[in-house]
Amino acid sequence: MIKYTISVILLTLAACMVQQFLPAISGLHGARVLILPLVFLCAAASVDFPPMLLLAFICGFLWDAQHALAPHGGNPEVYTTPVESLSFGYSIILYALMGLLMQGIQPLFRNGKWHISSLLAGIAIFLYLFSEYLLINFVRGDFVFPPTAFYRIYLTSALTMLFSPIIFWLIFQLSSACQHTIRYDGLKNRSRLSV
Amino acid sequence: MKPQNLIALLLFIAGALWALTRSEPTVRSIQKNVYLAISPFITGGTSLESTASEFIQEVEHSKEWELKYNLAKEELDQKRIEVAYLRKLESENARLSQALKFQQEVPFHVLAATIIRRQPSTWWQTVTINRGEKQGVGVQLPVLAPEGLVGKVDAPSANTSTVILLTDENCLVSAKVDGTPEVGILSGQRGQTGDNPTLRLRFLSKDAKIKPGMLVFSTGRGGLFPADILLGTIESFESGPLSGNALVKPAVDFAALNTVFVKIPNSPESSR
Repeated sequence: MIKYTISVILLTLAACMVQQFLPAISGLHGARVLILPLVFLCAAASVDFPPMLLLAFICGFLWDAQHALAPHGGNPEVYTTPVESLSFGYSIILYALMGLLMQGIQPLFRNGKWHISSLLAGIAIFLYLFSEYLLINFVRGDFVFPPTAFYRIYLTSALTMLFSPIIFWLIFQLSSACQHTIRYDGLKNRSRLSV
Repeated sequence: MKPQNLIALLLFIAGALWALTRSEPTVRSIQKNVYLAISPFITGGTSLESTASEFIQEVEHSKEWELKYNLAKEELDQKRIEVAYLRKLESENARLSQALKFQQEVPFHVLAATIIRRQPSTWWQTVTINRGEKQGVGVQLPVLAPEGLVGKVDAPSANTSTVILLTDENCLVSAKVDGTPEVGILSGQRGQTGDNPTLRLRFLSKDAKIKPGMLVFSTGRGGLFPADILLGTIESFESGPLSGNALVKPAVDFAALNTVFVKIPNSPESSR
């Protein structure tokens, strides 16, 4: 179990590096493949609650370290209404909430129905981006939601979801290399008993 | 709930609270260390991206040449390749000459930098440039192009820096409309995508005599940007109950931007 958890952490760190190679596609409203959140979501479906929280902390921390903006600066007498940004650390909470969502259908995943988890990964990315956008609106004190923002959220989550089978395959390869059992045999026995 | 889950949850909450309550200098220091760790990957990603685009271009050209080979003589094709190469050199020369001319003409010290990554985050309009603290780039320094203002440095690390673009809502510039006494705050607009974003100039007089086509310059007030840098041209003006707003087309074509100039307080020898 520990060997598998360490491997999954290393996989998320590798995803963080791979994310640097994935540009935004300007023709698709700036949508991109969010490989780091995707690896986290796929891993969250395969680990227990404490490792999921550890992964959420690592991913959220790294995400914010790369994307948090500095305060505007300048003379406050001229720039009287500075635009607020999201504070460092908010992604840790959002990642944990996404992880909880994935853990909610963990029994199905452990029963071999990875395609449902794959679909949920796309939904979780959509909810993550949508709540991030709502938070930006909240801290800036007004609500602006142009259709282009929706397209970006929708296309990013759809593009990212397409890659989830590859990540699940990687997760299964890792678990077999670490001799870790993802599938929950108890469910198998329960279904046999019910028959 | 299992005891180990409860302990994990409490530890997670403590960790999240620790992260959320970090002071600004601590966050900057964390960011600097993370960027230092990932900068080889950013540079690697950029070279991989350019290699891939060169390869795609080469494939497209190969097909093109093959078609032409069937239609024309081999010698003619050879000449065309030579001409295409010379044109490429000519355009590159023109671009570099323009950059050099700009660097020589501006009344302050600037440091040329290349954009190595565009829009690395989902919601912020930022780019990464290949110059950092080692070359004299500091936080909040203005970033310019020959056409006008590009933005300002947000997070410099050792060898790269993140630049927040003028098209981001978070980049505020004290601006004036040329030929009028009107002064306002210019910024990008939230949730905009595409290659032609517009800017919003706020806090103008509600009865301002502003017409489309008028030029917008920086005022130099506020301590961030130098005065009289071109920001854009007025597209439209809306009069509100208390103040007026104008939509402004940026002077810089952000989609085609490759080389930018960071205004540095003094020119370090290393940058030359």
